Amino acid sequence: MLQIIKNEWRFFVRSRIFLSISIAFIAILLLSVFLGNYQTQKQQQTHQNAKDHVRQQWVSIDEMNPHSAAHYGTYVFKPSNLLSSLDEGVNTVTGNVLRVEGHVQNEIIHSEASQMQAVSRFGKLKPSLLLQYIVPLLLIFLAFNTVSNEKQTGRLKLLVLQGAKPLQIILSKALSVWLYGVLLLTFILLVYGVLNFQSLNSEILIRTGLFFLTYCLYYFIISGLTVFFSARWQNATLSLTSMLGIWIIWTLFLPNILMSSVEKWNSLPSRNEFQSAMKEDRSKGLDGHNPADKRGIALKEKVLKEYGVDSLSQLPINFDGMRMQADEDYGNSVWDKHFGNNRDILQKQKKNFQLGGMVNPFISLQNTSMGFMASDNLHHQEFLLQVENYRRVFIKMLNDKQTFGGSKTGNWGWKEDNAFFKSVPDFDYKPTQISVVLPNYILDMFFMMLWSILVVVLIVLGTKKIQIV
Amino acid sequence: MIQLQNVNKSFKGDLAIQNLNLNVNKGEILGLLGANGAGKSTTINMLLGFLKPDSGKVSINKIDTTHNSQETRKLVGYIPENVNLYPYLSGLENLDYFCKLAGLKYTKSQLETYLTTCGLASEAHNKKVGGYSKGMRQKVGIAIAYAKKAKVYLLDEPASGLDPLASNELSILLKKLASEGATILMASHDIFRVREVCNRIGILKNGVLVKELHSKNVSANELETLYLQFMQN
Repeated sequence: MLQIIKNEWRFFVRSRIFLSISIAFIAILLLSVFLGNYQTQKQQQTHQNAKDHVRQQWVSIDEMNPHSAAHYGTYVFKPSNLLSSLDEGVNTVTGNVLRVEGHVQNEIIHSEASQMQAVSRFGKLKPSLLLQYIVPLLLIFLAFNTVSNEKQTGRLKLLVLQGAKPLQIILSKALSVWLYGVLLLTFILLVYGVLNFQSLNSEILIRTGLFFLTYCLYYFIISGLTVFFSARWQNATLSLTSMLGIWIIWTLFLPNILMSSVEKWNSLPSRNEFQSAMKEDRSKGLDGHNPADKRGIALKEKVLKEYGVDSLSQLPINFDGMRMQADEDYGNSVWDKHFGNNRDILQKQKKNFQLGGMVNPFISLQNTSMGFMASDNLHHQEFLLQVENYRRVFIKMLNDKQTFGGSKTGNWGWKEDNAFFKSVPDFDYKPTQISVVLPNYILDMFFMMLWSILVVVLIVLGTKKIQIV
Repeated sequence: MIQLQNVNKSFKGDLAIQNLNLNVNKGEILGLLGANGAGKSTTINMLLGFLKPDSGKVSINKIDTTHNSQETRKLVGYIPENVNLYPYLSGLENLDYFCKLAGLKYTKSQLETYLTTCGLASEAHNKKVGGYSKGMRQKVGIAIAYAKKAKVYLLDEPASGLDPLASNELSILLKKLASEGATILMASHDIFRVREVCNRIGILKNGVLVKELHSKNVSANELETLYLQFMQN
């Protein structure tokens, strides 16, 4: 087998057309890695500047009423990670700025796509674009006539007479082409590693390793299937047509069709529906700014009883802060219900879409590629959850200060000094660890492996029917 | 060495070979003459183990090619009408590659000796096969079989398209191989070449061996007349 693989590679290396295409393609890949890296670093810098600026604004508050500060709020910026320079996933469309304030959970805004030029919206030059769409095409063009050419020239007869088994020949040819894809992939990852050497850590290495593994599996599926067709069909045109057809169906049609179907089966409420439902549920709760609110009055009675006093003025605390926090707690439960519902629907969508990997390994590749590069919707949802958790801590700290900081009920003019605002922690994003989210991608990996085994089975069975004369 | 006993072969109901009996002994060259579709290539493919006879027995060195093709192929060198080698490799590299596939490892000088023995000029050894003439490729093809130490050579129209000089060189080479003990079966249209090279000649018509004769008993003109008679009847 090794001899056949070596011979195939001698052909690759000695073919001027192949070499020219490879050099041009590697140059484009390099460019994509450099650009991706440059964009990510630029985004990281911009993100850091904006974060510093907003924090500076916050810690510069001289004196302010804590609840006014809750309305004043702050901003949280979604950090771009190094991994997303390989696969940007949903990051361009999800937005990257969230306003954090009292009473309300704002939506993330300012997606990169919304700020792009019209042409750029069709997709940026990222390594994932080339690795997912173009490398498989190259593999198809390399593999479609590897066996049919041997048959047509009569060399297959000579090879078999020299003792090579048809299965060995076909598997070797598939592996030769596959190795080309693996080599391109390795090259990309090495360049990426060199460019980001200082920032590499075990998390990035594990994620990149898994990324590498899934692409290797996908390239094997493509190479093996193309070589199988090349061996099975009598002429090369037929095998090329078959594989191009599969490529079009797998990469262009099926993902869109499946995604639309999945969205129909498990549809998310529209933005308006979501907001209306939130507003309605919220209206059933306590209104922190309305002293005449029935639930507010009930809370007041309860607190007065607890403290054993008759009026708010006798309370050693500021009831306004307590009412605000009760309002906040209720709002949080409403948000948990609706956001949780959305998360459930998104999980169902993801699960159903993942099942598409049964008929289309490209879906599994896309899922794992985005997932391992921490740029899929799952990671985005994790970010949103962390922001909401921060918002709750942030607002509670302000409300608690209002309640227990020494002011009296109704004293809206009371202010806290700068030291307090400095003590409020900044948002610190904890990137989701791969060990936590890995189970979400097991199904994708399973389908990719299943497809790889299927391709081997096809090759083994197909070889038995191969006509040498 | 080569034996076909009562062999019949048909394709989709059309008889390609009918009750063929043939023996080629060690050191002997048998030429099979016949028009296109006479069954020459089918006979060779059965000997190579790529086609199974419907009935009868095909064997090489007393080993059945149908059931033990892996074994018999080790004994066989096959030279088709067009020896299509890898054009991006030199003659030497092609020979090296095919030898390695057969599990044979030779030094460069040994490979060069094989090529030279088979008539390929040493200047051509390291040139890409893409620039070789048909005759040169035939020589590399024979060198592959020779280096494999084939006991049996099966040639399918080997002289077709060769210029007279190359064709003559091929004749000399085949005689040399036979003198070294090789058993050769050569299918051809070329009456004169077959008459010159082969010890015995068989004429195939529609899958039937209609005539078998010794070449020393017949002149080239007589053979042509005989061949045309059979073809026209």
